[in-house]
Amino acid sequence: MGLQGVGPVERVLRTLLGPLCLLSGAVVAAGFFFPDPVVEAVSGPTWLLLSLVFFGSGLAYLAVLPAESDEDAGAFDPDSLLRVRRLGLADTLEKFLSRQDPIAFGIPVVAFVLFFFGQLLVPAETIRAVDAAQRTVTIYGGWLFAAVMTISVLISLYLLVGPWGTVKLGGPDAEPAYTYPVYFAMFFTAGIAAGIVLWGPAEALFHYETPPPYFGVEPQSEAAAGAALTYTLFHWGISAWSAYVAVGVPIAYYVYQQGAPLRVSTILAPFLGVEHLDSIWCRLVDLLAVFATIGGIATSIALVGDQFLAGIEFQWGVASDTVGSVLFVTGLTFVFVVSAQSGVHRGIRRIAAVTLVLFGLFAALFVAVAPRTAVLEYSSQAVGNSAVHAIPMSIYLGNGPIASAWVADWTIWNWAWWFSWAPFAGLFLAALSRGRRIRTVVLTGVIAPSLATMAWFLLLGSSSLHLQQTGVVDVLGAIDAAGGSEAVAGFPVLESLAIGQFLVFGFLALIVVFMASSADTSTLAVAVLATKREFAPTTGAIVFWGIVQGLVAVSVLVTDSAEVLQATAVLTGAPFALLVLISLVGLVAAFRRHERGRQSIVGAAWAKLGGDTEDEGG
Amino acid sequence: MGADTPDPSEPALERLFYRSERVRFVHWEEFSGANAAVWLTEFVAILSFVTGLSNLSQPDPAFDGPLAGALPAEPVFLQFTGVLLAFVLMLLVFGLRRRKRIAWYLTLAVLPLATVLPLTTLRPMDVPLLLAILLTLPLLLVNRSAFDRRLELSSLQIAALSSIIGVGLYGTVGSYALRDQFGGLETWSDSVYYVIVTVATVGYGDITPLTTEAKWFSLSVIVFGTGAFTVAIGALIVPAIEKRIATAFGTMTPTELTLLEDHVLVLGHDDITEPLLDELGTEVDVVVVASDGDDTGEFDDRNVTVVTGDPTLAETLDEARIDEAAGVVVATRDDATDVLTVLAAREANRAVRIVAAANDREHVDKLEAVGADEVISPMEIGGRFLGRSVLDRTSADSLFDDADGDTE
Repeated sequence: MGLQGVGPVERVLRTLLGPLCLLSGAVVAAGFFFPDPVVEAVSGPTWLLLSLVFFGSGLAYLAVLPAESDEDAGAFDPDSLLRVRRLGLADTLEKFLSRQDPIAFGIPVVAFVLFFFGQLLVPAETIRAVDAAQRTVTIYGGWLFAAVMTISVLISLYLLVGPWGTVKLGGPDAEPAYTYPVYFAMFFTAGIAAGIVLWGPAEALFHYETPPPYFGVEPQSEAAAGAALTYTLFHWGISAWSAYVAVGVPIAYYVYQQGAPLRVSTILAPFLGVEHLDSIWCRLVDLLAVFATIGGIATSIALVGDQFLAGIEFQWGVASDTVGSVLFVTGLTFVFVVSAQSGVHRGIRRIAAVTLVLFGLFAALFVAVAPRTAVLEYSSQAVGNSAVHAIPMSIYLGNGPIASAWVADWTIWNWAWWFSWAPFAGLFLAALSRGRRIRTVVLTGVIAPSLATMAWFLLLGSSSLHLQQTGVVDVLGAIDAAGGSEAVAGFPVLESLAIGQFLVFGFLALIVVFMASSADTSTLAVAVLATKREFAPTTGAIVFWGIVQGLVAVSVLVTDSAEVLQATAVLTGAPFALLVLISLVGLVAAFRRHERGRQSIVGAAWAKLGGDTEDEGG
Repeated sequence: MGADTPDPSEPALERLFYRSERVRFVHWEEFSGANAAVWLTEFVAILSFVTGLSNLSQPDPAFDGPLAGALPAEPVFLQFTGVLLAFVLMLLVFGLRRRKRIAWYLTLAVLPLATVLPLTTLRPMDVPLLLAILLTLPLLLVNRSAFDRRLELSSLQIAALSSIIGVGLYGTVGSYALRDQFGGLETWSDSVYYVIVTVATVGYGDITPLTTEAKWFSLSVIVFGTGAFTVAIGALIVPAIEKRIATAFGTMTPTELTLLEDHVLVLGHDDITEPLLDELGTEVDVVVVASDGDDTGEFDDRNVTVVTGDPTLAETLDEARIDEAAGVVVATRDDATDVLTVLAAREANRAVRIVAAANDREHVDKLEAVGADEVISPMEIGGRFLGRSVLDRTSADSLFDDADGDTE
């Protein structure tokens, strides 16, 4: 079926999507090349709809194209005749449910329904309660997030250079099933969503207006610009990505070296033993992971839908309401469901590739027209500052062990958000890592993606800072005019550059693909977690969880509860911070027990230099 | 490993994340061949046309791209280059499709020219064209060796071309020399305009000869020029139309064979050809080389190309583009012919994979010795399947699946 070959539904989708993409693409191209005569004939919302249909159907079409190896599988499937006979609805449903894990499947479904009823019946109380809980956690629990994040960074770096980095996952003969570019592309695009695009030009400006207390500088001064960029790098750099590796490496190690099942709860293996991973604790961990993932992704989808349209409204004055957002989310859901059910090697790989290529192309074009000297100047300064202040910033909270308002609102909130994404991103990283050395996993999970995000934030952040400081455009004014939304920051910045309009289209496209490439992976991860451990998730289960994520996002939009659900997702970050700590302790213990006598990079280099000292090591 | 049968006992992880083959970022060879380069050039041509039109249609053109300063004086003429170069590129794409070396050189010269307009105006609409050209140039350069065909013109075509060039030069230089004796002819551009308008039998009449000398000169241009023009149309364009008509009626011309790439060559015609074509399916281009005597009528409803000729001859194999083939199947009725065919095929293409069918199982090693990569004896396989089927009481199809697994 869908996962492996080319099902009949996919064939129908292909015949529908291809012409749809071509037709809408022709109209969009006409509007792009001949703006005066064509654009006036059609209204703004129609344009928006057409462009999104074009882009979305293109992505979905790409996802359902058969893989090279599937072409022969499409010929004739004798099972399909048998299948027709037992296609009764009750049977199908029963078969579907019998494969689901009752706890990880049932509780989230019930809980999300209850949540939205609560939101509909007593909105004020729900909002107040969740908000208060989130503030308490980020202010008083801030030290926990900061501490776990710092430990994750240190352990990641130790794995990179230390002796355990040489462990090859799956045994010395295992061959990686993914080439390095696709390995990096899929993990990078899964681990980061549209936030990178929306916050790229915005975050540094926010810190420029309200500087971080750690630096104690005057708002909107020259010094504030430097501090703002440094803190932006800190929030999106090595620390953030280490959270994923802290979940991913333990899972990968137990799965490939000790035969544990591929689930988030596997991080408890050193405490419970690989055979006892069926216990209630593990179920709870998986349940929490499902919650965190759906909460985190669905909120992101809803927020991105809102922000995308807010950006459009700001840029072209095309106003839209909740219906518009719901439509956008529905379309996005369609794309990522199609992509997720088509499998890792098809939709997920191809959309990841599209995302990465678009990302690189946009960055290259941006460099070509950006104020390069200013970018270089700001960047070199910010990189230097980040290196010097990395550790103090990591442990700075404001009021001793209690986080100050700024730190709680930005740093801690951000860490909690990354932790809530860690279960699915870590699980995915682990799933792709067979045949890789742990050193390569850390390199791909932390160093490479953080270099990419940091380069991006340096480029866009310093450009927007430069344009704001020299008074070319008043981006902060635009943000204030739009009610403090970060979504509009990119538009005035890009507009002020040559070929700015083209860049604006690229910017909007990036928002969509980054969101889709995270959501399809998270759908797959949730489907894996909610299915009983002896089964692979069926196409039906993947589609089901994709639709659940879409539905949660739609309900968020309808009940206007994005902030609340986001706060809830941040709340699930707290237990995950604890779990990350536990898993790291377990990992270190397991490594000390099983992986003695390996040689670190430093040791190997030392041995090389020493020449004749020791040859039998490693 | 090759058979992709989902095994329920296989762990979830394997089915989801680990398939038999390695997953790659992009299958480069699909996007980097000569065909891709031609498609991309065609795309550039269309894009250049649309961008050029878009440029012409804007009410007040602004020139503020990086090249604007370097251009002399008024760049209004430049606005037309987009569309013009698109036509030139379209012509060149025809040449590229036929793998002509000269089209390759000219395309390499025209593509940079096509960037001049977008680099001068640098509007958002120009960016796709720039990016496409940036992608096409290296791809064309990489595939240089694929465009190795000489432009083969018949003597009539050469004569027509050279006479048209000759008359054009004669008319232009001559009318410019006599410009005092013409009404309305003052510059070199006027001369060119006058000659083309005259030779094409349009004759607007805005430039007219005033003296007897000029009239005699004009007459000579009319007589020779119109003649050369007519002959050129007959020699250059009519053959192309004839080919189109022939294609419409279903016979493939040698020109179309040159478009093949990564096709499978089936040399010889035998009873096993039919199931072989079934197995190859519709996904891959197939060329069957059959001798004159063979009944090839059965291929009519199949999407295969038939080349009639002796498969043991190098010319036939070249015509079937063995140098671009992805694989060769040798299956004639006679093992001796098979040996000769394998030899000829190996000679024509050192690298291609050759699979041969041995009619007699004794000849397997001989065929291998002359250069076949794999020799299969249909008789032997059939016999073994019969034996297995009767012992295991299984259907032959399931045995077939096993065999798939074994041979991978």
